[in-house]
Amino acid sequence: MAIDYGAPHEKELETIDVNVNVGPQHPATHGVFRMVLTVDGEQVVDLDPVIGYLHRGAEKLSENCDYRQGIGYQDRTEYLGQFNAELCYVLAVEKLAGIQSPERAEYIRVILTELNRVTSHHMFMGAFGSDVGLFGTSFMYSFRDREMVLDLFEEVTGERMMYAYFRPGGVAWDVPDDFRERCRDVLTVVRRGIDDIDGLMTENEVVVARCRGLSPLTPEDAINWGITGPMLRATGLKHDLRRAEPYSIYDRFEFDIPTGTQGDVYDRYLVRLEEMRQSVRIAEQALEQMPDGPIMAEGLKRTLRLPEGEVYMRNETPRGEYGIYLVSNGADRPYRLKIRSPAFSNLSALKAMCVGTYVADTIINLGSIDIVLCEVDR
Amino acid sequence: MTQEPSQETTVTGPAPGPMADLFRQVLPGVQMTAKQTAIDVAITVRREDLPRVMQAVKEDQRLAFDFLRSLSGVDHMDELEVVYHLYSYKLGHSAAIKVRCPPDDPHLPSVSHLWQTANWHEREAAEMFGFVFDGHPDLRPLLTEEGLGYYSLRKTHPLAEIEEWQEDYVTAAEAGEPPGERARKKEMARRKAAIIKEVREEARARGLAAEEEKEAVQAAIKAFQEQEEALAKKAREEARAKGPAAEEKGGE
Repeated sequence: MAIDYGAPHEKELETIDVNVNVGPQHPATHGVFRMVLTVDGEQVVDLDPVIGYLHRGAEKLSENCDYRQGIGYQDRTEYLGQFNAELCYVLAVEKLAGIQSPERAEYIRVILTELNRVTSHHMFMGAFGSDVGLFGTSFMYSFRDREMVLDLFEEVTGERMMYAYFRPGGVAWDVPDDFRERCRDVLTVVRRGIDDIDGLMTENEVVVARCRGLSPLTPEDAINWGITGPMLRATGLKHDLRRAEPYSIYDRFEFDIPTGTQGDVYDRYLVRLEEMRQSVRIAEQALEQMPDGPIMAEGLKRTLRLPEGEVYMRNETPRGEYGIYLVSNGADRPYRLKIRSPAFSNLSALKAMCVGTYVADTIINLGSIDIVLCEVDR
Repeated sequence: MTQEPSQETTVTGPAPGPMADLFRQVLPGVQMTAKQTAIDVAITVRREDLPRVMQAVKEDQRLAFDFLRSLSGVDHMDELEVVYHLYSYKLGHSAAIKVRCPPDDPHLPSVSHLWQTANWHEREAAEMFGFVFDGHPDLRPLLTEEGLGYYSLRKTHPLAEIEEWQEDYVTAAEAGEPPGERARKKEMARRKAAIIKEVREEARARGLAAEEEKEAVQAAIKAFQEQEEALAKKAREEARAKGPAAEEKGGE
């Protein structure tokens, strides 16, 4: 007996969207980050980022410790740009207390902060290269130099990661006697290393093919999403807080603000690469000008009591505008301390950037934000 | 891209006058108070004016605040406050806008339709302070996915006491006895606080100046501490009389 199977193609194949869970424990999410993708074939139609796995209540904790103890929490919040975060915190305290730190301390801070920006971008270069498909090579090149800089940081602060070296009114102790020579050596190595990374990645066929034209952002969109830092400059907007609202002694140095043209992933990489060179430039100038003298403002009490008031201090960290909103009621600890984290705002635009792209590109998109999850979750 | 931030803007920002005047010009008839903070000018507006104010500061070309830098909640005990820090890439100036609401009615209009970035910032403020942002598209908790059941950044949620309480609970459960030393210290702190309060109120009732009040409080604290020390010393001596083992236990 013949069976009637119906005419071929009479029934259309049904397609459904599939949910794909990425993370929280996933090597490509740069920390403990989870996203739920809804995919139509290979294309992302929806994305729901889930954050908060590293929420430690850094703001609440900072409200419960005095102004010197709070410095440590800044390291743990921005664990790739520790000096940058510390700088913002101590500047906020100094601004409110009306403390002026001595010249030498300011120069030490700038040198370390800029070197720190370089190490943070080293991390980006390594991780981003891995995301794109260079596997370990980019990590090898960037971490070779990063170690050199971290050794220098260790000599200065005694720590490789959680420095807690800046203080309201100066720095904790003076740098070692051979700091200048060591710093010059390190800067020479770093400068050469940046060229190596440049040679490895910039014209690499895989990098260009995967990143050029991926998820371009317009300046208007970027501003509306609150995107700051290299990602904003990649869209072509020439804005750097070191220039626009100079803090510390950044008005004394010559440096260029690199910008992109299309705001795509490739531009974000190029901007960061150029920023490393500019940071080395600033550090070299600061090293040249660094005077001798005291490293701590005089007449400061052991326990600082800030006058009543508030300040929103912001500075340019490797990821963008880092802000400390500090409210004081006259006590020896903040009444309220809000951390405006750049990666938090940048990450909120991930959905807008990823929808319409392929699943594999989501990872590159995420990598191009250069998130630090501790800073996102706080 | 033609927007170039002005090179002249410094971190000290404009004096309170010009920025506040600009606000008054753009928003005539809106009740507001201006205050110079360490860097920015802070403008406090009423809750019912907020949608109008926010719309205007973003779209009016004299202010043109196209960037919402930060949105912070602050708990002032009797009132909750939200602070919007704004920046204009076009004009290179910044300001803060504040709005207050009572803690038992924490409804505020959402600004996420003006600045996309407000979406996550408002979600965070909502879960940490208990704000309700009307008109927000998706007000789920952000950092604590399942929610905490309390608003952790409010001042009614003190950090130290809860930790202490937990520690007490654990040690007491382990030892099978009521918490000793820590409870004693807590009790002492409570008594001290009561004495300070009493002396202060008395001083205020007598109309003393602030300096004299401070002195009176410090004298009372000193007397209290001396009394406590004398008691502790007596306890130690008694313990010593009983024997060395008991002293060790009692001293700790």
